[in-house]
Amino acid sequence: MRGFTRALALGLVLAFIATACAGGTTTPSPTVAASASSTRPKFDLATYQYALQTKGKVRIGTQEDNTPFSVKNPATGKWDGFDVAVGRELAKAIFGETDDPDKFIEYVAVTSATRIPSLTDNKADVIIKTFTINDDRKKQIDFSDVYFKTGQRILVKKDNTTIKEAADLAGKTVCAQRGSTSEQNIAKATNNAARPLLLDSYPACLLALQQGQADAVSTDETILFGLVKQDPNTKIVGKYFSTEPYGIGVKKSVNGDRTGFVDFINRTQIVMITSGTWAKFYEQYITPVSGDKKRTPDD
Amino acid sequence: MPGAIAFEFPQLYFTGLWLTIQISIFGLLSALVIGTIVAVLRISPIAPLRWIGAAYVEFFRNTPLVVQLFFFFLGLPLIGLRFSTDTFENIFRAASVGMGLYHGAYVAEVVRGGLLGVDRGQIEAARSLGLSYPQMLRYVQLPQTFRSVIPPLGNIGIALVKNTSLASTIGVTELLFAAEIVESRTFRAEEAFLAATLLYLALTIPLGIAVNALERRMLVAR
Repeated sequence: MRGFTRALALGLVLAFIATACAGGTTTPSPTVAASASSTRPKFDLATYQYALQTKGKVRIGTQEDNTPFSVKNPATGKWDGFDVAVGRELAKAIFGETDDPDKFIEYVAVTSATRIPSLTDNKADVIIKTFTINDDRKKQIDFSDVYFKTGQRILVKKDNTTIKEAADLAGKTVCAQRGSTSEQNIAKATNNAARPLLLDSYPACLLALQQGQADAVSTDETILFGLVKQDPNTKIVGKYFSTEPYGIGVKKSVNGDRTGFVDFINRTQIVMITSGTWAKFYEQYITPVSGDKKRTPDD
Repeated sequence: MPGAIAFEFPQLYFTGLWLTIQISIFGLLSALVIGTIVAVLRISPIAPLRWIGAAYVEFFRNTPLVVQLFFFFLGLPLIGLRFSTDTFENIFRAASVGMGLYHGAYVAEVVRGGLLGVDRGQIEAARSLGLSYPQMLRYVQLPQTFRSVIPPLGNIGIALVKNTSLASTIGVTELLFAAEIVESRTFRAEEAFLAATLLYLALTIPLGIAVNALERRMLVAR
């Protein structure tokens, strides 16, 4: 009898697991091409970029699973993505043109919550991780100029024709992460007329959308990009109804320990944008999911 | 005054509290009914019924409540089952049903203990007096059981009220969820959660007192 009871309980557990498991993953892995010759740029001895050049490594903090901005390939250990490409440009600006900028880079894996502490505790030299510039954060760290601009948009099923803009969300069930600014932006954009379904993660929101339990998911376009990649039966609609400017985060200079660094990053960004390298990165990493093309962050 | 923030956001806190109360009441009643039925199944003279009862208890007692709630919310629709076509009604019912099924397993074990505690001689006497098995259960075994299991049932009831906070993980805007929303809007974490704590206490302490009173009353009757 015991054996039978166990078998019955086991059967229930298995049925439970079978129905609970559904979903898929994708791993992109294109690589950045860089050209030859190595002449080291000359820097003022007091600057932080000179210190880095002397040390021979720059520590770049980014996230391991933030498609399409930064991904660490679990099989090869190689990093890739838009933010990673920007990081490699920065490394080249410090150490000179090289085919393999990664030999000058020490990647530091961060999450949203550990971005600021890894700078203030001096665990990373820069944070390049879909890092929205805002006043609260500026009190604790310094930001470079905007190198990427995004905003909140809406994810719906591909066959949805009724939701086109934020205003169409009135009366609709909209999923967002609880405690996020996304939820407050939805309320603002619809005059509290949307019905927010607030869950712990965006994959859970995606599942709710797939099952028709939510009419739309709304948050930063960059996160929606990742969701579209997971489920090609969805699409991103509407104009931005909030602005999220991303910058590179740097520790505030105390007693001159980061002299000239933010200016140096800003100059590198300008070169990257005017030389067309930025547009190339955009086309390589963002266009496959967004479908559009941009030449500068302000396009 | 501690908890005053609840009156700054009455809409959030008190609708949250009301949802918590509703889920608790539905959960408590269904857990009692389910638990009693399962307990009777577990001591049934018919073997397959005992197996069903045992499998129920093992399954619902040995999986996390959060996992069960997610199963009712996002798992069941995969096989075409939904409590309601309205999403918010669906998550509310999923939470209520989840509370009942999960705590039903604990109630079943407590009630089973009570049923086994009734003297074997009484059961044999009832049967030899001509009472059928269901009659014996109804008039002899169950009434004595309920008297003896009131204190442990009170524990389960209080645990259930607190566990309703897990409904927030599937999007039910109950009391804890309300506190989290207020916290994210005001950054006044201590006040927001203190208010929720006080409101939970306002539910659980009276429940505990009621259970104690019930226990005393039943003692006198014995």
